[in-house]
Order: sequence, then C-alpha cells, then structure tokens
Amino acid sequence: MKHFTKSAILAAAMMPLASMAAAEKISIAIGHQSMCTDTYTAGIVVKELGLLEKYLPTDGKYADAEYDVSWADYSSGGPITNQMLANKLNFGVMGDYPLIVNGAKFQETDSLRTLYVAGTGYNLKGSGNAIVVPVDSDMYSITDLVGKEVSTPVGSAAWGMLLKAMQDNNIPTSEYVLKNQSPAVGAANIAAGKIDAHSDFCPWSEIMEFRGTGRKIYDGSETGVPYLHGVVVREDFATEYPEVVEAFIKAVWEAGEWIRSDPMEAVSLMEGWTGVEKEVLYLYFSEGGHLTLEPSIKDEWVDALKFNHGVLVKEKAIPPLDFEAWITEDYIRNAYADLGIDYDADKASMVDPVVANDGLPMEIWHARDGVSSYPSLPDFLTAVAAMQGTGAKLNATYVYDDETGLKLFGKTAFWVKAGDEYATFLRKGEAEAYASANGGSLVTFDEAIADFITEG
Amino acid sequence: MTRVASTIWTDIQANWKTMVLHGLIFALLFQFLMLIALIVRFQDLPNYVAFYDWFGSAVHIIQSTPSWRDAVQIIWEEWLIEIGFMNYDYGMGISEWSLNVVPSRLVMLFILGATVSLCLALVRRDGCDVGTSNTMRATTGLGALLVAMTNATMSWVVCCATPSWVVGLAMLGLGVSTSLALETMGPLLTGLGFGTLAFIIVVLAARKAYPTKELDPKGAPADA
Repeated sequence: MKHFTKSAILAAAMMPLASMAAAEKISIAIGHQSMCTDTYTAGIVVKELGLLEKYLPTDGKYADAEYDVSWADYSSGGPITNQMLANKLNFGVMGDYPLIVNGAKFQETDSLRTLYVAGTGYNLKGSGNAIVVPVDSDMYSITDLVGKEVSTPVGSAAWGMLLKAMQDNNIPTSEYVLKNQSPAVGAANIAAGKIDAHSDFCPWSEIMEFRGTGRKIYDGSETGVPYLHGVVVREDFATEYPEVVEAFIKAVWEAGEWIRSDPMEAVSLMEGWTGVEKEVLYLYFSEGGHLTLEPSIKDEWVDALKFNHGVLVKEKAIPPLDFEAWITEDYIRNAYADLGIDYDADKASMVDPVVANDGLPMEIWHARDGVSSYPSLPDFLTAVAAMQGTGAKLNATYVYDDETGLKLFGKTAFWVKAGDEYATFLRKGEAEAYASANGGSLVTFDEAIADFITEG
Repeated sequence: MTRVASTIWTDIQANWKTMVLHGLIFALLFQFLMLIALIVRFQDLPNYVAFYDWFGSAVHIIQSTPSWRDAVQIIWEEWLIEIGFMNYDYGMGISEWSLNVVPSRLVMLFILGATVSLCLALVRRDGCDVGTSNTMRATTGLGALLVAMTNATMSWVVCCATPSWVVGLAMLGLGVSTSLALETMGPLLTGLGFGTLAFIIVVLAARKAYPTKELDPKGAPADA
C-alpha cells in the first residue's frame, strides 16, 4: 500500500512534466534544391504552399507540439548530406546519385543512419539528363564526340549517364577528353562555344535550349536507366516522429496533385519561387512532360539505384550501401492509407513517355492567352502562323519527338516535311532517316510555319 | 634516440615563438593563396561571404551524435567562413565557386607551417654542404606540398555526390581520371607529407646530436 501511494504521488508530481514534454518544440529542417526541377514536389512547392504545415499532426503526443519548420536551399545534394550528418537538417531532397552517397555515407558511420522514405518524381527512361552542344555546332550525334572535349559535373547523375552513354556507343574514355565542370560554368562555356559538349542534369539542358545557346544531341532516355529523385530522413528523427515523416510524404503527394491540376499556373508560380524560366519548367511539369510526379518506391527504382551505386563504387570508391536497411516503405504506406489512396496501385503504375505521350496534342504558350493545344502538326503550325501574324508574343511552343515521345520546344526540334505531313524529332539523324524513308526533307521551324502563312 | 628527441625538444623550445608565428602565417596565407587561385582561374571576384557558427554547430553535433568517433569526423568538415562567387544568371543564383575556411584544416595547416618552420630552422643550423642543404629543403617542400594539397578547401557545384579535397585541384585544372584516382588517397598523402617532414626533422636532429667527421668534413662542430 505504501509502495502504491509513493507511485501515485510520483505520478502526480510527474504530470506537469509530462504536459511540458508534450508541449515540446519540434524543429523540422529540410534541405532542398531550387535549381533542380525534379525535387520541387518535396521542396519549393511544399515550402511555398505550406503543405507540410497542413499535414503536421496535432493530436495525441503532438497535441501541444510547437513546430519550427525551416528550409535551406542548396545547389547540389552533397552539402545537404553534410548538413544532415551534422543534424542541422532532418530531411534531404536530392537526385539519385547524391541519394546513394547520402545513404552510404551515413551507413559508414557508427551511429547514424538515413532512410529513403519516398520518391518525388521520375522519368522511366532517364530524361532530365542530356548532352548538349553549342547551338551552331556541326555535331548531331553522340558518336561525333570522338576526339572532343566533354564537360560534366563529375559525381552527378549526368556524369553517370554520360559514362553509360559513351559505353553504349562503344566510345572508350581514351577517345574523348572528359572535363569536370559545374552546371553554370558548363552552360556559359556552351554559350561561348568554349567546350565541344556539356552533359548536365535537370533542367540545365533545357535552359540552354530555351535561351538558344545549346542543342541536345543525346537525351538521357537513350540509356534506359530511370532518372529519379527522392526524400531521405535521419533515422533518429523518423523513429522519434514517424507521424511527421508521414506528414511530409502527404505534402509531397499533394504538391504533385497541385501541379497536375493546373501546370501552367503552377510553373508560373514556380518561376517566381526559383528563378527558372516557366517555359522550361513546363517541359517538365506539364502533361507529357519529362517528369512523372508520383512518390511511390518501385522495385525498378531500387534496381536503378543499385546500378548507380555500382557506377559510383567503380569510379569513385564510395562505401557500400545496404539497400534493404536504407529503403523503407513503412512511412509512405501509412501516409497513403491516411489519405485513402491505394499505394500498391500507384506503385504498380509506370509512365513510359513513348506510350503515354503518343497522340498528345502540340501546345502553344501565348504570352497573354496562355496555353492552347492542337491535335496535329498542321493545326499547330496554322495556329503559330496566325498568332505570329498578329504580332503576338509566344512564350514557347511544344511538340513531341517522333522517336522517343519526348516533349520538345518547337524551335529546337528537327522538322521533316513529307508531302502534306510533318514530323518532329529530337535528333537530326532520326529526322534524316524519316525524311529518306518517307520521301520528305528537313525544314526549319520557320519554313514549316511559312507554309501556313495566309495572304492578306 | 633519446638524444635525438632531446635535441628536437630543445630546438622546439628555442624556436616555439617563430614556429607559432610561421604556423599562423602559413594557415592564413594558404587561404589567401587559394582565394587568389580561384579569382585567377574563374576571372571573377567573390561576391558573397557567409559566416557560420562553428562552435554552436560543434556543440549541436556532439549533442546529437551518439558516437564520439562520428562526432569528430562530422565536426572535422564543419565550415567557419564561406566566400565565393554567386552566378545570378541562373535561378535565384548558384554558387559557381567558393572557398571554405574550415577550422580543422586551419589547424592542420598551422601544424604544417610550424613543422616546416622547425625543419628550416634545423636545416639552417645544420653544417652540411649546399647540395645536401638544398636536398633537405626540397624534401621539406615536398612534404609540405603533400599536406597542403590534401587540405585544399575549394569547392563548386561539380562533385555533387562526394565533395572532397580533389575538387579544389580539379577546379585548378586537374584531369578527371587523375582526380578520381587520387580521391581516396587523401589520408595516405597527408600521412606521407607529415611523415616526410618528421623524417627530415629526425635526420637533422640526429646529425646535430651525433656529429661525425663524414657529416662535417672540416671537423668543426656542426653548430659552431
């Protein structure tokens, strides 16, 4: 009885402490990349729309919690990992190669780990990475790079893509000069014609194309290795606050829904948040764009990450990575269940641009009237000609590569006219082959438009 | 060996002020030289500087890292100052290059500067011929170069997977294959550099502690 009384008194004395503990301040620090389009649904969009705050738990042990959400913007994934190691960031959003290094560097420590808890988006075949040449270059194929100087951010996904692309095309490293170059300097060198080619990650290639300084000769989709981005979280944080991790994943999911609901409005806002041109972002986030916004963790992603880890081990001797321990679907499954969405259905779905983009309409982004779509290239060209005839400003035009289904700027595509039919291509080689097979010829975008300019 | 250690200790006692001064000058001068190298390489003056709460970060890391070994390794990479060039042509700006002042590297460079100072003091006091003296100085320089090279703290948005000391060398023109080959050799090269300097110190101290006819052809005491 005496023991019971002591326990009761102790429990009563602890009540205020328990309530103080419940009122704890939970700091949530997230590292993201505003210059990396594929991270936006777990980064800038969640931040600017306050989506994490919307889903943060407010009941149970979180009833009196005070949240302190902070965001830190980085130019690449490496520094995010370093900040996570220092526990200055709880969450990190980054691309596949930096993600792998993140997991491996944490597993190299005695006491710290991260968990890969969700994706942000993907391109099944690897679009997002690309090799670009100066716009006036006479190179049109990756095989033209033999004996040339090619720069890339070594250690990035674009570097991994470049290595595989060269291997796939039987170009050994001894037959080209590889230079280590940052995206901004690489883009500047392409504009100035100081380098033969530059390989980079999203959205640098499209920025160069949109600004008229560069031209793609190789798209990452040709390697066939999925390009994906994802979310990692410190394991100690996830263990202590699993509901916060689930809230973050719900925010990622809603960010994707928000973009899908009105891509033009979304990219216009994102331009203001990131400084990346909205027309470039539209190539990624619109229907038929490079990016499929869906956070599930597919088996194919695990295979792709293992492949990428193999490249990094071979070339950069990074530590081993136990994928089983690192990747977990526990949090995303709970998040989906709370949202009432079928996780397994999302996980099973796979968007292949070649199939999904087949038959999608061409688009014109009128500066005043917004985006309009056209079912055929003649309809599209007629509209472009008419709009240009009024002196209207067109922000951008979008067509699709006949070969890969990749969404392209109309002005950078290779155009083929065969009789009354038109076709558009990413690369000159395929365009020439198509022209040859169909009795057509290559024409410029302006020449194609000129066919539809009406008198008077 | 005791006499050698004693000689080294005596020389350190005699030169400690100079060693500290040289250590400080070397650590600071190295930062300045890296900054100059970056400015020359990229033809841009720095346009941003950021200061970090190194002590606060170190305390936070210790509090939130269960393993002391991990905590030390993480603190080792913490920055004090970042100075660089932000390119505003893209997005909201992207850091094109930066020099990171890292306290752990400052300590390494300070030790390096002090060690080189001791080496040079011993060489000066050694009575060997000009050729041997030059060889000693060159070896000291080689050791210093190896340590300094592996403590470069220049960075850019290139190696987004694994930033490391070779990034600085890559920025200054080192080839990709060479930098990748060297990347894992950082600790080895640092050890080799300090080992070389330690070897020079021991040799010079031994020559002083055990003067011989061969070492001193004129038969005069080495420090006469």
